[in-house]
Amino acid sequence: MSGTDITKTKKPAKIKKDNHINIPLTIVLFIGCLTVIFPLYMTVIIALKSPAEMTNDAMGALSFPKTFSLDNFAEAMRVTNFGTSLLNSVIITGATILLALIIHSMAGYAIGRAMTRHKSFKFIYFYIVSGMFVPFAILMMPLVKQTAILGIDNMFGVIILYVVFYMPMNIMLYSGYLKNIPLAMEEAASIDGASTWRTYWTIIFPMMKPMHATVAVLTALGTWNDVMTPLVIMSGSENTTLPLAQLNFQTQFGTNYNLAFASYLLALIPILIFYIFCQKQIIGGIANGAVKG
Amino acid sequence: MKHKLSSRTKTYIVMILPALILFVAFNTIPLITGAFYSFTNYRGYGSYEFVGLRNYIDLFQDARVGQSYLFTFKYAIAGTVLVNLISLLLAMGLNSKIKAKGFLRGMYFVPNVLGGLVVGYIFSFLFTYIIPTLGNALNIEFLKNSILASEDWAWVGVLIVGVWQSVAMNTIIYISGLQTIPADIYEASSIDGANKWQTFTKLTLPMLVPFLSINLVLSTKNMLMVFDQIVSLTKGGPSQSTESISYLIYRNGMDGGQFGFQSANAVLFFVVIVTISVIQMKMTSKKEEQL
Amino acid sequence: MKKRVFLSAALAALSLPVMLLSGCSKNADGSGKIEIRMLQYKPEAVAAFEKMEQRFNETHDDIHLTIESPNEAMTVLKTRLIKEDYPDIVGIGGDINYSNFLDAGLFEDLSDFELLPEIKSSYMQIEKDLEFIPQDGIYALPYAANCAGILYNKDIFDKYDLEIPHTWSEFTELCEKIQEDTNIYPLYFGYKDTWTTLAPWNALAVGLSPSDTCAQVNAGNTTFSVEYSEVAEKIKALLEYAEPNPYAYSYNDACTAFARGESAMYPIGSYAVPQIIQTNPDINIDSFPFPANENESDNVLNSGVDLQFSIMKGCKNKEAAYEVLKFLYEDETIQIYLDDQNAVPCKNGDFTLPSMLDGMKDYIENDRMSDFHDHHYPSEMSVDAIIQTYLMDNSENARETFLTRFDNEWKRYNRDLIEKVRKYEEEKQ
Repeated sequence: MSGTDITKTKKPAKIKKDNHINIPLTIVLFIGCLTVIFPLYMTVIIALKSPAEMTNDAMGALSFPKTFSLDNFAEAMRVTNFGTSLLNSVIITGATILLALIIHSMAGYAIGRAMTRHKSFKFIYFYIVSGMFVPFAILMMPLVKQTAILGIDNMFGVIILYVVFYMPMNIMLYSGYLKNIPLAMEEAASIDGASTWRTYWTIIFPMMKPMHATVAVLTALGTWNDVMTPLVIMSGSENTTLPLAQLNFQTQFGTNYNLAFASYLLALIPILIFYIFCQKQIIGGIANGAVKG
Repeated sequence: MKHKLSSRTKTYIVMILPALILFVAFNTIPLITGAFYSFTNYRGYGSYEFVGLRNYIDLFQDARVGQSYLFTFKYAIAGTVLVNLISLLLAMGLNSKIKAKGFLRGMYFVPNVLGGLVVGYIFSFLFTYIIPTLGNALNIEFLKNSILASEDWAWVGVLIVGVWQSVAMNTIIYISGLQTIPADIYEASSIDGANKWQTFTKLTLPMLVPFLSINLVLSTKNMLMVFDQIVSLTKGGPSQSTESISYLIYRNGMDGGQFGFQSANAVLFFVVIVTISVIQMKMTSKKEEQL
Repeated sequence: MKKRVFLSAALAALSLPVMLLSGCSKNADGSGKIEIRMLQYKPEAVAAFEKMEQRFNETHDDIHLTIESPNEAMTVLKTRLIKEDYPDIVGIGGDINYSNFLDAGLFEDLSDFELLPEIKSSYMQIEKDLEFIPQDGIYALPYAANCAGILYNKDIFDKYDLEIPHTWSEFTELCEKIQEDTNIYPLYFGYKDTWTTLAPWNALAVGLSPSDTCAQVNAGNTTFSVEYSEVAEKIKALLEYAEPNPYAYSYNDACTAFARGESAMYPIGSYAVPQIIQTNPDINIDSFPFPANENESDNVLNSGVDLQFSIMKGCKNKEAAYEVLKFLYEDETIQIYLDDQNAVPCKNGDFTLPSMLDGMKDYIENDRMSDFHDHHYPSEMSVDAIIQTYLMDNSENARETFLTRFDNEWKRYNRDLIEKVRKYEEEKQ
């Protein structure tokens, strides 16, 4: 409590803000976190072991390996051709996010703003959002044929398909977010003579930064680990993504879990870093801006 | 289109055009193609014949399809409720003044990025070896056998993992929703002497409604389309008790030679979910208007 | 609707130049060599195939061979079929997928391939039996086979002085002896992965029912209730000798358990050996055919074609493809494959068999073999799951329920096929 007292005396302006850290809540969240840490611990342990150290009892995945070595990681990197696969995965995920931020935010904004006045926009909204519920299996074969005819049965095609697959969710997110952005600012801008197009890119787009970060994370989540789309679409090409390369650890009659786990841990790191970066963007974005502006 | 559109509406049209064109080209057209095959006995290659409505008639007589609908809906209802409850609480927790915020947020995000192979192996291991070991040590009858091997309880095992994985995504959306609530409003309410519960129901919740409805739709969708967890945990077993609709469509449509029949299943499934979600969205949007 | 027509027209127009371009580039590697593309479905054999590819290209000036061994090869192959981007040669398994591909008219007739007489006749017959409708001509060349029966831990057998059983009663007595004398399980199952139920199922079925059971059922001459009654009885009897609740353990768990000596025997195919050795490189494994009958001479080894080659329709240069096949069937090339994959060759000749198949050698050499029955089951029927359901069913009339279900579902999943067979039979008369 003394901490708050000091704040009170020294910075009277901040008196209303509740600045003390909620310790019980922190503890509860750490305990909840065990549901993640425990499986993650098992993953790390298995990734460090050799197949011969795996036993069929609780200790098989819990006890420490006899010798500590990063051999599995090195071998996993070799088998998956890590550098190239990682690069391809980054390109696909990166390009998808970039296109999603532009195309989806624009469409989400237009739909969100126009839907209250025009029935046709409302229809388009439901039309696109309902696309979320189309099972991929029914689209798969027609898409394989279509991308082959168009000559985009490659990474470019995969990116385009991702942009379409995540469109329903992202448009829903953007137009939902707009509901909490007051119209006042756009109206002020239009009185000043700015076009809707300009207002969008100069005022609204930057204001949606937290949502951009959210969309980026969710889209990345979906694309990063996806096997099926690159498998069926790029089935002709030499290029491989990380999840595709990870199929190397599984054959019909055998799986090397130790190598596979090392490889999955390696694949986890880039996306985790990306998420933590995006988290910073989500927090404390719009709220103050909207009200103060 | 005779009447003149305002320039603002014209801009809106230009803005949705790229999305709309892509969507029609890579979602609607293939969907129509797929739906076309639902009237054939196409295997996915080679020649095929038209079979009229046979596939649709079969759908309603197929016990396995019926069982997969039952499982899927049971799973989806339980999953949607659990995921939203947990992720809303978690989002509020992670959005409060806590220590190690970055670390905790990162940790809770991990389940969603662990690949299917890892998740399947780890949880199978937990259910097969670790929990029964605990059950034996503590002499709790229910825990002594792997729930994944039980026809009656395997779906709960899948559900636990499904919820564990999807909480991350919904939490992220709730967190970004919480960010749209201006801090000033909280300050004002605390001056007015509102307690925590009042602040939550009168202030936080109404502001979160758009995100609540997004999350409801998304988690319903994710749960109804459950596939990855089935593949990595049970492959539909034991005794076909955990075959989800998506799993059946994929397994028999792509791996097996039932592309035509499973396309009919997919079309039916699509119609069913769209109906449900239209009702769901209508209800939540009414709620939004009321508030 | 108009909009859609317009859009698809626009898409088609867009794609035209791309197609032309890709059409040109295919044969334009400049060397003037004939390019033969092969796709084989066993990614675990990638090393052997790379070796073969390299050897072929070193010794042939006029043909260039490319072998692809993608992961999830069957999915990849199916997408290639949709794209109409056919490889010249495919290496796939001798199972229902082959039957379907053949039925779809995807393969070339190989009757004039000169090495045909050197291929073992039993495997050629297995290929014939995979044809839904008997075809004139030969469409697949068997290359390597695998066997299923029972793998056993030699050290455990030596230690407890156990003998290899030759009849069903000897087998059950052996299991009981192991249960009494040791704390090791006689058998271990990984029934959580439903497909593993098919291992003992097939191994029993080849001994207890005719090899053309499925075809006979399709022709309406018999039912599964009749043919599979004993198979069903015996597969359930095995449960007594395995670990409790085998539905909790996966294939991988079972391999680990057997590798660590938790069970003396493991009813599975030779394909499981690499996975077992991975966990315990020192294990001494041998195998014997499933003793399904009371009479030793009635037993048959369960062996099927694991890898076979076909030339696809549309192959521009069949002669060059034959050159490749001839190379693949050279004894040295086959030995490369066998050494890498612990497989059984389908060609006559003096090859070194892998040591863990010692116990099956007599059967292999005397051609006492019959194909996996599940190679004739449509995969969408999920017979493995039906078997698992039956094994878990503890009610009194479980076996009847199961066999009736088998017959009913068979009729439903094979409706088009049964119709086809009926029409064929009618035309023949």
